[in-house]
Amino acid sequence: MSTRSIVVISAGVSQPSSTRLLADRLAEATVTALADLGQQSQVTVVEVRELAHDVVNMTLTGFAAAPLAAAQQAIADADGVIAVTPVYTAGPAGLFKSFVDVLGTDALTGTPVLLGATGGTARHSLVPEVAIRPLFTYLHADVVPTSVFAATDDWADEGGDDVKPLPSRITRAATELAERVARRPTTARPGLYDAVPDFSELLGGA
Amino acid sequence: MQFGIFSVGDVTTDPLTRHTPDDTERVRNMLTIAKHADEVGLDVFATGEHHNPPFVPSSPTTMLGYLAGVTKHITLSTATTLITTNDPVRLAEEYAMLQVISDGRMDLMLGRGNTGPVYPWFGKDIRQGINLAVENYALLRRLWTEDVVDWSGKFRTPLQGFTSTPRPLDGVPPFVWHASIRSPEIAEQAAYYGDGFLHNAIFWPMEHTAAMVNYYRQRFEHYGHGRADQAIVGLGGQVFVRHDSQKAWDEFLPYFNEAPVYGHGPSMEEFTRDTPLTVGSPQQVIDRYGAFWEQVGHYQRQLFLVDHAGLPLKTVLEQIDLLAGEIVPALRHEAELRRPADVPSDPPSHAELVAAARAAGQVHEQQVAAGDHWTGKTAEDDIDAADEVTA
Repeated sequence: MSTRSIVVISAGVSQPSSTRLLADRLAEATVTALADLGQQSQVTVVEVRELAHDVVNMTLTGFAAAPLAAAQQAIADADGVIAVTPVYTAGPAGLFKSFVDVLGTDALTGTPVLLGATGGTARHSLVPEVAIRPLFTYLHADVVPTSVFAATDDWADEGGDDVKPLPSRITRAATELAERVARRPTTARPGLYDAVPDFSELLGGA
Repeated sequence: MQFGIFSVGDVTTDPLTRHTPDDTERVRNMLTIAKHADEVGLDVFATGEHHNPPFVPSSPTTMLGYLAGVTKHITLSTATTLITTNDPVRLAEEYAMLQVISDGRMDLMLGRGNTGPVYPWFGKDIRQGINLAVENYALLRRLWTEDVVDWSGKFRTPLQGFTSTPRPLDGVPPFVWHASIRSPEIAEQAAYYGDGFLHNAIFWPMEHTAAMVNYYRQRFEHYGHGRADQAIVGLGGQVFVRHDSQKAWDEFLPYFNEAPVYGHGPSMEEFTRDTPLTVGSPQQVIDRYGAFWEQVGHYQRQLFLVDHAGLPLKTVLEQIDLLAGEIVPALRHEAELRRPADVPSDPPSHAELVAAARAAGQVHEQQVAAGDHWTGKTAEDDIDAADEVTA
């Protein structure tokens, strides 16, 4: 069994960021859950902050500078993606949305994706469901049922929620992601030139 | 190897003088630019086709027809002719007319366009872009190679007994290029027909361009038109040149920063690093463009964008002088030194196409339908004639 590739997209901008903290916890739990299923995995982290200018430039010019292109390729080749963003003004961070906007419409088709978000209080808890999940559904990603929102209080010892504390939500979501990744065939996504129909097919289909 | 210029015909305010040419001035400037390019010895002038402001060239064959009359040597072409939203019947007629008027000193480059609303404005569905390009071009070819065409397809009203006139010069259609930036289907189309393929690389890293060109080359060989390295390839490019490279940089920077397409995006440092845009001395352009063959193989046509972003006419003409006087002779010389003998130097000229068609026995005396089967005293008279032709 080949090593599974998990790519983490972290769109926090402060250093250190609670978004990255949540992303790391989700990645760690996913690696553990995959190991329980007998699969090795490797985690690559994409810090969107480092690509911020390239993301804006691609929005304006249509092409990706090399560092952004490398991140996009890693995401397209990933067996599973963990996407985590801060909540700004009742939605995902604009930078996160812009990053997703330039991924391309085929980049995540069929890819298992776990969503995470961070915010100041639990009042923003439904943002992943109402504002982030639709992005990935549009991209035909296989979004796991549980997304994880972490408010500042969730990082307290007992967690902000003593019935469903953050660690249990992380484990549940990571297990859902791991199960989907483990079930996925290991065949690579076709490249730009792999799926071109023979021209007689194009002619016939015209 | 051919070197020329292509224009998108944008009307852009000069960021230094704040002068904005009106449409008439811009069209006249394009004519001046094309005539100058001919006079100083560039090989190609190609005009874009656009149907929305701030672009003026909506009617390429009108412009190129005039230029055919006032220029002597330069090949007149397009960058690009919209194969998706134009009626292929009109394209067959207009470009055959241009071919006859210019005595074969033309070719054309087909593209799908980059402005979404042009599709609905011309009654087409943008989601059918590739299929329109495939079907329309298949019909265009038949209209040029067959005297009487019966045809039906998905996107246009059927034809019965239709003859496109004038028939192509010497019975041989114009040479056709297909241009695409990211659709391998179009590279596939060019390869299938053995036509040329142009990648307009001006906003793209060279690695991407090389991958697309090399895909076209492999498919050209697959379809039996020759070896991969014999396929006919063109590239778009973009330069701003002064003898003093720092002066070139300083002079172009305000135009770059305000340019409609990339202004306020990447810095000029980033853009000149990541794309073929080269701003500097003639030698810097020679060094950079003289190395592209390492990634795409020997190619037949290099086009430069020089008249955009509000640059004044005088500056554009100076750019053309620098290209023709210093850059192109050096690039041409280097290309000839390294080109394998059995790889074409240039895209095929009209005379070469005629010679090839004669050698293949494809061209016989023109047998265009002897008379007009159609025009009667009334439209109804045509019914009998139609029955005769299509029986």
